[in-house]
Amino acid sequence: MEGRYNRNLGVLTADEQDALMQKSVCIIGCGGLGGGVIENLVRMGVGKLTVVDCDTFDVTNLNRQVLSNEGNIGNSKADEAAAQMKMINSEVDVTPIHTELTEENCRKIIADHDLVIDAVDNIKARLILEAGCEEEQIPLVHGAIGGWTGQVGVVRPKDRLIHKIYPEGEPDAEPDTSLGNPSFTASIISAIEAAESIKVLLDKDALYNKLLMVDLIEHSYEIIEF
Amino acid sequence: MKVTIVMRGTLRKAFGAEEKTVEVPDGCTVDEALQTIGINYREVKNFGFVSVNNMRVMISDPVNDGDYIKAFSKVSGG
Repeated sequence: MEGRYNRNLGVLTADEQDALMQKSVCIIGCGGLGGGVIENLVRMGVGKLTVVDCDTFDVTNLNRQVLSNEGNIGNSKADEAAAQMKMINSEVDVTPIHTELTEENCRKIIADHDLVIDAVDNIKARLILEAGCEEEQIPLVHGAIGGWTGQVGVVRPKDRLIHKIYPEGEPDAEPDTSLGNPSFTASIISAIEAAESIKVLLDKDALYNKLLMVDLIEHSYEIIEF
Repeated sequence: MKVTIVMRGTLRKAFGAEEKTVEVPDGCTVDEALQTIGINYREVKNFGFVSVNNMRVMISDPVNDGDYIKAFSKVSGG
């Protein structure tokens, strides 16, 4: 569609815009973080996305998950992501996978992508994802949210950033809902994950082996080096 | 020697938002420095990780005079 990416120019060169269309990204999780990341990457013109989630939408998602609405409760999050993104940008190839990420299927799902996005909601899945990305030699953009706070970092194979962020004890296999999960935290952190993704895809400097800590109560934005 | 300790995230609510500068003995670890202000990280449900001068360190690492310690709450949702 002529002119679709005109407002990307200035941020991207024409060559960089063309390069994005040749890139592939695998997004694990199509909820609060994943929905925002997927929409941003589709609008930016990343050529191929694989969107992965085993879950279906329920009413508790409506406060923050941009892909959810009153009419798609009970539908597959991954399938909804693909269907909705086709309406935004039909030039992008979005493949849904309605399955849970496991140690057994991780490498097969993420293989042959240029980048993987962590948009999951528990530590156990993040550790599986980091190990899989290391084995497949694929960079990983990490994001996590809780209450008014969130964090983003970029993991190169061998960095093991996730292991350093969550070092203690048995990893949580279920999401921690005690802090609450408002729309604005998911929006901001998913947007930052998308920005970091574009930087990684275009070989620009990014939050490699660093963690940006965001606190929306204090408006503190701090980068911690790992 | 003196170090300064500050909480981040939900730890601010639990332990206060203000910076605390405390006197600690030579060879003191981050864990021991936190205990001087009444924080035992093992007993804090949402304890995440610590940094010294904006570098992530292990809780058992030693601190130096003038160090600035930040303790972050665990963030894991999506």
